[in-house]
Amino acid sequence: MISLNSIDVGYKTPLLSVNLSLELGNLYALVGKNGSGKTTLLQSIIGAIPTINGEILLDEKSIRAMTNLERAKQIAFVETKFMGISYLTGFEYVAIGRTPYTNALGRLSEIDKIQIATSLEILNISYFSDKFTTQMSDGERQLLQIARALAQETPYILMDEPTAFLDYSNKRNLIEKLQEIAQVQQKCILLSCHDIEICLENKLPFLIVSEKDKRIELRANASKEDILNLAFPNLVKN
Amino acid sequence: MMIVHVLSGQIPLNFSDIVSAFNTYDATNTNHVIFFEFRIPRMTMAILSGSSLAISGMLMQTLFNNPLAGPYVLGINSGASLIVALTLLTGIPFFATDFGLISGALVGALLFGSIILIFSFYIRSHISLLLIGLMISSFVGAIITTLESMSAAEQLKSFTFWSFGSLQQTTLNQLPLIITGCFIGFLGSLLLSKPLNAMVLGETSAKSLGIHIRSFRIWVIAITALLTGTITAFCGPIAFVGLAIPNLTRMIFQTQNHKYLLLGNLLIGGIFMLTCDTIIQLVEPYFVLPINAFTSLIGAPFVVYIVLKKLI
Repeated sequence: MISLNSIDVGYKTPLLSVNLSLELGNLYALVGKNGSGKTTLLQSIIGAIPTINGEILLDEKSIRAMTNLERAKQIAFVETKFMGISYLTGFEYVAIGRTPYTNALGRLSEIDKIQIATSLEILNISYFSDKFTTQMSDGERQLLQIARALAQETPYILMDEPTAFLDYSNKRNLIEKLQEIAQVQQKCILLSCHDIEICLENKLPFLIVSEKDKRIELRANASKEDILNLAFPNLVKN
Repeated sequence: MMIVHVLSGQIPLNFSDIVSAFNTYDATNTNHVIFFEFRIPRMTMAILSGSSLAISGMLMQTLFNNPLAGPYVLGINSGASLIVALTLLTGIPFFATDFGLISGALVGALLFGSIILIFSFYIRSHISLLLIGLMISSFVGAIITTLESMSAAEQLKSFTFWSFGSLQQTTLNQLPLIITGCFIGFLGSLLLSKPLNAMVLGETSAKSLGIHIRSFRIWVIAITALLTGTITAFCGPIAFVGLAIPNLTRMIFQTQNHKYLLLGNLLIGGIFMLTCDTIIQLVEPYFVLPINAFTSLIGAPFVVYIVLKKLI
């Protein structure tokens, strides 16, 4: 369980206040306006940015007190955009996700290799293995990033707009698949997302950035109206 | 390539000389003496300098996430040069010993490596960092020029020859020290291959994969300083090898797995310098081609080619 106990996130001035906890077995959708602090919140949870007030606890332990390695075995992070790196193959990229588990020389064990292969299979992208990341499209790279996060074998996965570059069918498939992974493998996945309709269809619990009071509301059974009212009030008025 | 290199040179040796030199060394046989006192050190230095500079370049490129980084462009060579200039031009006795020269060049490389590292904390842009490296180099260049203008003719001559870069100044009894330095560097870099692989994705990702960034940075700078410092102290500032060879290695090996890339750099760097020096030895009867000039003649167009290829 990740507990966000009355925390304020932001760089110098607080951008968002959050007071909620995230449970294993769920896929959460984080929605809100551009620039409302979604990425900042995700970055705070992975420990990249310190919180202004309050502490983030992962199973009762402060995120900032954990070593990078301890955190890497608990939380995986998927950035919005991965530009691709010349001569880096899909397999090598996903293999980097095994970094927290390999020995000092980074040798991949049989278990590591199986985990890499399964992560690619789950997303139906096994054929990406030998492809160079620079020769993939943005959407393909986005799927590959998710495969890397799965290969990292963590109970918690945070994703910053993982559906941004995906086509309509891939968006739907991905959300469904992630929900299944969260439930079956008892993971807690939090993704920021602008595809509200798809998230609604799958009845995801929502973390809504309330535009008015700059805080996040957790709604298990949100309707489209709830989301619009909270996150996009000016849209409703017009 | 090693044998071709050893056999090429102003005084012709043939293969049987080498065999007999190994089997029954004869101190009065000129060919045996040439082989052990001149050819072996020169060949070893060619391999070590190529491999060391290539590995340094590889480490720099991954640390700064910049394929155009290298010990030379980032001013790490300059650091070593500055100390060597102080040594040769001012004549402080401690620095006149081998150990003093190496440790001086090492401190210089380490110091300037740290300076560029500190700059990298504040500068995100790749181009800006390279510019700062170049500025550091020209700044140090200016200090060296000033030192040169103040020094005596004899000292100036020996420094100028050093700055041309040369593989033949090393003697047989200096080799163990250089080999030890380089091998520690090679082994150290291989031990870093895991964090290097993660670093390819950038610092934030590497951190989220459990890499301890600060100690990683310190190790990379220390190993680069060791390799670059040792080589620069004995062979002079050799340009472009550290920049061009890692790129060439990536092109040939088509991977980003540093375990293979580092071994590839070791191999290709060594072969490259052996080839360069063999050519230099072959043209030696006609004119003297300094190694530093030669690597730049090949390296500079190659780097331009890489940049152009990236743009297309």
